[in-house]
Amino acid sequence: MTDPQVALMMLGLFIVFVFLGFPIAFTLMAMGIGFGYYAYFDAARMWRGFNRLDETAGGWESFSLWIEGLFNNRIFDLFVNQTYTVMSNEVLTAVPLFLFMGYIVERANIVDRLFSTLNIASKNIPGSMGVAALITCALFATATGIVGAVVTLMGLLALPAMLKARYDPSFASGIICAGGTLGILIPPSIMLIVYAAASNVSIVRLYAGALLPGLTLVGLYLVYVVGRSILQPSSAPRPTDEEVPDIPMGKLLFMIMTSFLPLAFLILAVLGSILFGLATPTEAASIGALGGMLLAIVYRAMTWQRLRESVYLTVRTTAMVCWLFVGSYTFSAVFSYLGGEHLISDFVQGLDLSPIQFLIMAQIIIFLLGWPLEWSEIIIIFVPIFLPLLQFFEIDPLFFGILVALNLQTSFLTPPMAMSAYYLKGIAPPEVRLTQIFSGVMPFLFCVIVSMVLMYLFPQIVFYLPELFYGS
Amino acid sequence: MTGFIRFADNLSAWFGKAFAWLIVMMAVGTGYEVFVRYVLNSPTAWALDVSFIMYGTLFMMGGAYTLSRGGHVRGDFLYRLWQPRTQAKVDLVLYILFFFPGVSALIFAGWKYAARSWQYGEVSINSPAGIPIYQFKSVIVAAGILLFIQGIAQVCRCILAIRTNEWLAADEDVFETEDLLMREADKAEMDHHI
Amino acid sequence: KMQTSWGASNIWDEFAKDYAQRVDEMSGGRMKIEVLPAGAVVAAFQVLDAVNDGVLDAAHSVPVYWYGKNKAASLFGTGPVFGGSATTMLSWFFAGGGEALYDELTQDIMGLDVKGYLGFPMFAQPFGWFKGEVNTVADLQGFKYRTVGLAADLMTRLGMSVAQLPGGEIVPAMERGVIDAFEFNNPSSDKDFGAQDVAKNYYLSSYHQASESFEYLFNRSFLEDLDLDLQAILKYAVEAASTANTAKAMDRYSADLKWLQDEAGVTVHRTSKEILDAQLKAWDELIPELETDPFMKKTLDSQRDWVQRVTYYELMNSPDYALAYDHYFPGRLKI
Ligand code: NA
Ligand code: NA
Repeated sequence: MTDPQVALMMLGLFIVFVFLGFPIAFTLMAMGIGFGYYAYFDAARMWRGFNRLDETAGGWESFSLWIEGLFNNRIFDLFVNQTYTVMSNEVLTAVPLFLFMGYIVERANIVDRLFSTLNIASKNIPGSMGVAALITCALFATATGIVGAVVTLMGLLALPAMLKARYDPSFASGIICAGGTLGILIPPSIMLIVYAAASNVSIVRLYAGALLPGLTLVGLYLVYVVGRSILQPSSAPRPTDEEVPDIPMGKLLFMIMTSFLPLAFLILAVLGSILFGLATPTEAASIGALGGMLLAIVYRAMTWQRLRESVYLTVRTTAMVCWLFVGSYTFSAVFSYLGGEHLISDFVQGLDLSPIQFLIMAQIIIFLLGWPLEWSEIIIIFVPIFLPLLQFFEIDPLFFGILVALNLQTSFLTPPMAMSAYYLKGIAPPEVRLTQIFSGVMPFLFCVIVSMVLMYLFPQIVFYLPELFYGS
Repeated sequence: MTGFIRFADNLSAWFGKAFAWLIVMMAVGTGYEVFVRYVLNSPTAWALDVSFIMYGTLFMMGGAYTLSRGGHVRGDFLYRLWQPRTQAKVDLVLYILFFFPGVSALIFAGWKYAARSWQYGEVSINSPAGIPIYQFKSVIVAAGILLFIQGIAQVCRCILAIRTNEWLAADEDVFETEDLLMREADKAEMDHHI
Repeated sequence: KMQTSWGASNIWDEFAKDYAQRVDEMSGGRMKIEVLPAGAVVAAFQVLDAVNDGVLDAAHSVPVYWYGKNKAASLFGTGPVFGGSATTMLSWFFAGGGEALYDELTQDIMGLDVKGYLGFPMFAQPFGWFKGEVNTVADLQGFKYRTVGLAADLMTRLGMSVAQLPGGEIVPAMERGVIDAFEFNNPSSDKDFGAQDVAKNYYLSSYHQASESFEYLFNRSFLEDLDLDLQAILKYAVEAASTANTAKAMDRYSADLKWLQDEAGVTVHRTSKEILDAQLKAWDELIPELETDPFMKKTLDSQRDWVQRVTYYELMNSPDYALAYDHYFPGRLKI
């Protein structure tokens, strides 16, 4: 077996072992170390100490030298070296700060203020509550880079309100699942930081590139919600005055001022300072975190308990993401040391695909991986396999990254690992069935695919802002 | 055995939480850099170094805490269908095969790596401020030791679960918003049925 | 296996492959070097640790990338050089006692299991890329500027705040606003990573890194286990590649400079005399600080003696090239 074939076996075995359900960071680490042990195997080095022993040496002494010999393999040095490379990765420093900002903002009672205000403001639009819920989600997505909290918060807030207004339960839950997932696409998205760290594409360009596609997707969602409400009014009846009160314009304006503006200002400060090059994402994230704390204090939502929760959750989620990197850096160092990358790229280049065929194949594979896996595993482990091929097919890694980010929206919505749907099921009234949630999500999945086709047909949606801000 | 598990959980949580507060220092420190750069027009030379040192220390020292609370992501769509006893058997084997070799390497090879850095008095080359990084490299060893202890606790957990067919959960201290809300919803539903 | 500290698209990756090709042909195919780009096995700044541990057999890098471990590393790349050129300084390495001092630093003082050779006298490195024009020292105040090694200390003394980043991170850092200006190395490498997209003023001529050479690092145990002829081939292929690299650099660097001017709309300047003077004064402040370290003092003395003798001959002997150039191609030079 040649070394590159061993590398392929390493990848294959890894996929098998993932299914055993052991923490993936350590599975990756083990695969890297195990196959690296083979790659760096050097019997002479291993037994150097052992062979020096004379025959009178005691059992303990020979045992300890034997153990020492076993560990005398360079893979362990490589592993430590790669661990340090993750520890000193400048792009990833933004991860804990954006997580922290997200956790603080989640706890600041912003979502309910925003939703009730938008609900009143949009009352005369068809599907008004759905529209209000989607816009709340989209706004919230620009303040947090994670998914989960938005779905549950909105599930508790908007879903009962919509059900009470006799919305079709499947329709209503689809809106919340899809809306709540936007946070990983719309900047500041943790997923895009992680993609940037994996691909060496500038995070700033990625953020600029993701903005219009994110808005396009929100637009498609809105078109679907309003369109269906017009065509099938029974699925989204107009709320009665009792459900959503009419209030005077002045009071509405005041509500908008207090709920919408502070959040909008925070978002502008964070994204604006990144896009205009005033601050690094890490710096912008720290401004966001400090601003989020200030906002929480103003809303009287800041307690010692909530701060502690945010701090502890930040360390856990950061550790989860970054230990995956520790594992995958070691894995991929050994993979390329064995020459696996060449074999894969020779194989794919031998398939004689056109760039569009390659792009579709890559996206279908990522879509399918999104069923059983979550975005972090896909981006950190599988996407890097496609990255070296992009140059051959002349596909811009920025463009590819945005397509992947869109694509992975679906990984939260497709069974069996549809986290958004599970979160919603967890807090929804019992009469909302999981099958209803899934069928409600389907049209939104279709919107995601439409948006990907749009990106392909009009790549300027992706490139316009990065080129405007940073040149071609 | 339960006693040791609790000890390890607490130890990991103590270190994880203590170093978690670095996030606040990081936010304030980086915010300070932005302030002095734009308001006082005198950027610091050390901001970049300090921020990656804090970030790296934070996630490395949080690794064992995260492990104790089951926070490392698993490809668990099959796993979650199994009996706890089956889960524990698979986990037990994989902890021994997958977990301990790498974590031991963090301690031993990490020691060698950090010791060399101490010997040079190594400083960061990101800025001429010459911020020392040998202490930062020692974090690899510390994180490895914490993970090793927590790993033994996880092995104990597996053995217990094989016997009782039930996982011994860590004392939960904080929840993700979604988990918290879901627990509250479950509780409300229970109350409702009663 | 030899890993470089450069990306696969950098011209220096080709330079490393020139070396590999020479080793392959000289050894009749007995020794094949697989050249891997930065990041393939370890990160660009981690190659010294990796070669020492034997994670890599060899690396193609520059000494300044490890000057965090020992500041004296800079003297084997981008020291004050006292008016010598890169060729003068590489000759010091081979004939003026530099190699012995280098071995003393890496093997005795730092206790590393490596053997290194230097090759390819790089041309003096440009002052770099700026968004606007800079003519006086006052124009530089408060800039965040990327460079590496002792040049970082030097530029700090000129009133700039310095970030040291690997080559691949420079353009993203400009986009993110981490830095306002930077230098890297030469027109081809600068062009390859897209310097012209983020800045349009290119300042040539500078004393901050007037000399530098590639560092060929080998794991010493690996090297000593080889047949003697192969060891010799690895050693002398460095000298062979040095000439090949120089020829290629002359061709490509000059062509790419022309491309930057004609196609990319870059304005090429020569650094003003005021800034160059300020650089020399900054070296004057820096050198005594460096000399507090006995090894650095010894190395600097050795370099000073060498340059004083050799460059005297070089300068006294060399005809005025600018005069001749201007004679044949009048009106082009703006010095
Ligand atoms: Na977001
Ligand atoms: Na340079």
